[in-house]
Amino acid sequence: MNLRKARVAGLLLASVGVVAILVAHWMVVFWVPTEASMGVVQRIFYIHVPAAWTTFLAFGLVALASLAYLWLGDDRADAAAVAAAEGGLVFGAIMLTSGPLWARVAWGTYWTWEPRLTLTLLLWFTYLGYFLVRGSMADPRKGRRFAAVVAVFGSLNIPLIHVSVSWFRSLHPEAVVIKPEGPTLHPDMLATLLTSLGGFTLLFLGLFSLRYSVEHASRRLQAARFRESTGVSP
Amino acid sequence: MTLEGRGLVCDYGATRALRGVDVSARGHEILAVFGPNAAGKSTLLRTLSGERRPDRGRVFFDGAVVSGGDPAWRARIGLVSHRTGLYGNLSVSENLRFFASLQGSPGSRAALIEVLEQVCAAEVADTRTAILSRGQRQRVALARSLLHNPEILFLDEPFTGLDPGGVADLETVLRAIRLEGKIVVLVTHDIPRGLKLADRMVVLRDGRKVLDGPTADRRVEDVVPLFGASFARDRS
Amino acid sequence: MRELRWGCMIALKDLRLELRSGSRLLAMIAFVVLSALLFSVSLNLAHLEVRGLVAGLVWLTTLFAVTAGAGRAFDTEENDGAFRHVLLTPVSRGAIFLGKTAANWVLVWFVTMLAFFALTTFMEIRSPGPLAWHGAVFLPGTIGLAVTGTFFGRVSNHSTLGDTLLPVLTFPLLVPVVFFGATATSRILLERPWLEISGPVRFLWAFAVGSAVAGTVLFRHVADE
Repeated sequence: MNLRKARVAGLLLASVGVVAILVAHWMVVFWVPTEASMGVVQRIFYIHVPAAWTTFLAFGLVALASLAYLWLGDDRADAAAVAAAEGGLVFGAIMLTSGPLWARVAWGTYWTWEPRLTLTLLLWFTYLGYFLVRGSMADPRKGRRFAAVVAVFGSLNIPLIHVSVSWFRSLHPEAVVIKPEGPTLHPDMLATLLTSLGGFTLLFLGLFSLRYSVEHASRRLQAARFRESTGVSP
Repeated sequence: MTLEGRGLVCDYGATRALRGVDVSARGHEILAVFGPNAAGKSTLLRTLSGERRPDRGRVFFDGAVVSGGDPAWRARIGLVSHRTGLYGNLSVSENLRFFASLQGSPGSRAALIEVLEQVCAAEVADTRTAILSRGQRQRVALARSLLHNPEILFLDEPFTGLDPGGVADLETVLRAIRLEGKIVVLVTHDIPRGLKLADRMVVLRDGRKVLDGPTADRRVEDVVPLFGASFARDRS
Repeated sequence: MRELRWGCMIALKDLRLELRSGSRLLAMIAFVVLSALLFSVSLNLAHLEVRGLVAGLVWLTTLFAVTAGAGRAFDTEENDGAFRHVLLTPVSRGAIFLGKTAANWVLVWFVTMLAFFALTTFMEIRSPGPLAWHGAVFLPGTIGLAVTGTFFGRVSNHSTLGDTLLPVLTFPLLVPVVFFGATATSRILLERPWLEISGPVRFLWAFAVGSAVAGTVLFRHVADE
């Protein structure tokens, strides 16, 4: 994609995302009914779930882009992987801090060694490792390749998360939206969740496009500087 | 039989090791690569051998593109580097047998002794590699590179640590290989020896080729000024 | 068939080198026995549910020993640049990986057994349950540990962070192995029926096979320069 187009699309998506998140926050505070059993704290759900969804979307993108980079060796795939990984770490941090706040009231503890929670934390650390590997290789080209390998290997953990949830008894709330018999969530709650979900997704995609264009532009700048100093086209 | 690199560019991060180098080596020929430190000599060797994919440019062998990922290509080349690449806790014959088995070449005792005799090292066949002198290890490394009868031999500073006898033996082996019609690419700092041994030379400086031509009638004094002012100052 | 032969040659070479120098194995043995000793003296066993605890400690000790020892599988290769010459042979990268992993697995298996016997002895567990069942749990668990340790040992080998990087990369992947391994081992120690153990064992096998396939396919990206 043209860099200018990516930047404009990024700004547009991020702006719409921010507006949608602001609307979702208004709905969370003033509009949506309070959940009967957990009380007011359940409203964190409208932040936690979209953050979790965005994190997994981001990490999925990192895995796909990394696979493409290993396969094709195209630098644009690597730029996309970094952009998505940074987004994944940020939204993952939102998920991993909002979750315990909710859990403290709902389950009486900030943290519980529940499989889905544990494996999500591990996945987050895997992507932290992604950045450590990238930054710790003397040859940046090798850093990109090795980081892509870590991302692909790490993404193997995603199916394990699903398996562990179904194999072990879990404290985690059951699925309330995507079920074969249709959502059991109150329609107002569903509307708030979907607004927030849409906002988070658009914000992530916007930030992803912006970060991608910055990464791509910085590489082009580096190449141009190189050309200037050496007289050889890269 | 021709090995050819066209427009080779290699980067290590922000450092450009090769800046568009064209080079070729033919059968029955020893090609010497000279240059000061950080000129890109070893990178050129790694690129020609397929160990490193160039960022731009291609390497061809008899017109076909060379890829380090191709096992058939790897079976056609041999390498001797300044690090001998042997396992210290294995004996010489165990080392050679191990590499022979990976190369798919005969690993019988007779075959190993024959290769060791070529490099005048048969007497150390059962010695643990770690206790050999640097020169002896280098001879064993040369024997390892000849095990599978490669068509192209790459040598990266092979004279390092060799005594005069070892250097003479290595020269004899390289001349014999040339007679067999093989290609030898020799990277070295030892300009007098390189000039004596090679048929053609390439001089690199800052990743660029500054000279490509026959070695006949060339003297050290013709080559050194090409290395640049800083090198001449260091030498003096 | 050729791949298998190559893998065996590399594994045998590694094991031979290990037996000759013995330093890595010796360090791992010392680490395991001393850790078991330290765990035994630092925990007040009178107030703890010992069998569950021992299961966790066996897997943790093995995990740390793998990080300290098995991750160094490429050190002998890099000492004098031998790995460059191995990579220049026609051997496939997958066969190199499987060979190195197989040699590492022998070490990890030995260390796990040692950790198990040291901890059950020091913590005075008289009837640890059927040994064959323990073996059935340790087999896939140790394969998973060896595969991951070998693969990321190569990655950290290239990194300027060196050994610091290895636990950051391997622990997130290996914690599930330790979790399911410890669950299965504790259930055997508590004399539970096989039906309760087979679930975690299936998971361990899934991890072992999945990571071995991923490692074999991806190794070429971390093996070459």
